[in-house]
Amino acid sequence: MEKLKIFVLEDDKLAQKVMCAHLAEHAVDLAGDLKTALKKLADNKYDIGFFDLMLGPDDDYSGLKAIEAAAARGVHCVVVSSSDSDETIDRAYALGASDFYAKGNEEANIGEILRKFVQNRKAASASDIFSSAFITCDPETRAMAAEALKYAPTDLPILVLGPSGTGKTSLAKILHEHSGRDGAFVSINCSAYTEDLLEAEMFGYKKGAFTGAAEARRGRLLEAHRGTLFLDEIGTMSLNMQMKLLKAIEERSFYPLGSERPERSEFRIISATLEDPQTLIAQGKMRFDLFQRVHGYTINLKPLSRRPCDIAPLLQHFTKGRRRLSFSPEARAFMESYAWPGNVRELKKFTDLVSSGSAGRVDIGAARQHLRGTDSAQQAAPRDGELYAYALAHGLEAALDKVSGEIIARNLRENGGKKTRTMADLKISTRLFYATAKKLGMDTEGDKK
Amino acid sequence: MTGNDNSKLLHDLRSKCSSLKSAAELYKDCSAAEKKEMLALMNAAAAEITKLLAQLDKA
Repeated sequence: MEKLKIFVLEDDKLAQKVMCAHLAEHAVDLAGDLKTALKKLADNKYDIGFFDLMLGPDDDYSGLKAIEAAAARGVHCVVVSSSDSDETIDRAYALGASDFYAKGNEEANIGEILRKFVQNRKAASASDIFSSAFITCDPETRAMAAEALKYAPTDLPILVLGPSGTGKTSLAKILHEHSGRDGAFVSINCSAYTEDLLEAEMFGYKKGAFTGAAEARRGRLLEAHRGTLFLDEIGTMSLNMQMKLLKAIEERSFYPLGSERPERSEFRIISATLEDPQTLIAQGKMRFDLFQRVHGYTINLKPLSRRPCDIAPLLQHFTKGRRRLSFSPEARAFMESYAWPGNVRELKKFTDLVSSGSAGRVDIGAARQHLRGTDSAQQAAPRDGELYAYALAHGLEAALDKVSGEIIARNLRENGGKKTRTMADLKISTRLFYATAKKLGMDTEGDKK
Repeated sequence: MTGNDNSKLLHDLRSKCSSLKSAAELYKDCSAAEKKEMLALMNAAAAEITKLLAQLDKA
């Protein structure tokens, strides 16, 4: 860990000694009273400050005054105090404290505070990720990703929602890189395996566990020890597999296929799905208890069509170091109004196609030619067949409800759960919105705006 | 002695006990010189705790 400049305000000599021992790797400056504290805070620059509140037997929480002074100078203020009434906690936060810990568990708490501080500082200074690893100019997407980065150094599970090709995997990798975890980023696409294969892939197996298991193999869960397990398309996992995964997450141990000895793995879960988890739960396709385990912090990535400002910087990024392209104003306008059903992935493919073309100047004709080929109307054909079969099996009304539900759920997701926006986007009344949601068992308890 | 005084006494007691507990956890990893200094501080904290307990008894 980098060496930090740390300030400690503590009147008790033994507590000072304890703090110094836990902060031995850093440059520590001590103060035992308010006057000394204020002078040191005014004269020096500190990264982080630890503050006791009651300085002496008859003191009236004078440590709070030091917090105010330190916070004004940009110090990350952490209270470590035995005075942990709700009122004191509220006052400390109101004056600028960032964290509040009750005295008594310094060994665990101080390490955690410093780790989080370093990671958060790294995340805050990592705004360049929006022009390299996760390109976006969209203020809403930037704000969501920046907020998610604050949770990167924690053990909290993160759920990334968004349509296919919006950058869910890229964001998961970035979150891992900012997590400070020693282990690897291990990704598994749950939709790419049958149930049996997924089980073998996740938990691993012993030699001879099943026909074809000529050699033992470590599972992804074990590979993700002290790292991150990224479960892509978690919504496609069978209920049986969900149950097994839930058990492994809860117990942090599991049995590889054919083994009688459990393996332990301390992994952090980041998962992603393009479907709405609430709809999946309502449809009985996702276990509620698994959802509870994987959705600690949820980030919802907007489709590219809702952030057209990202098209130009993404194009620039995709052609960096390669043939540079120029787009006519008509081609740009067309691209900005195009639906991009495949999102960033489709834009990348489009860039590859036009880059390989004969002209470096892309006009409206070329843009139309390459984008019409992936038009959503063509992709809708199998969907129509699927819907038709559903209507024959369940009736027309049920099929229409299903379509309405999917459209509402998708738009809600794209709007971050803002119902008023969904009602406006889809031009539906409040009554129709809630009636459809109720009929399909959708969750409408969140934002009532 | 009032309830307010009692809560101050209890606060000091919690604070001293926490420091003593944390110091005891650290003690084994200290060098000989540090152990001596730590022990003196721990003794002083223990004496404070005894004093606080006596005050609490009277309250």
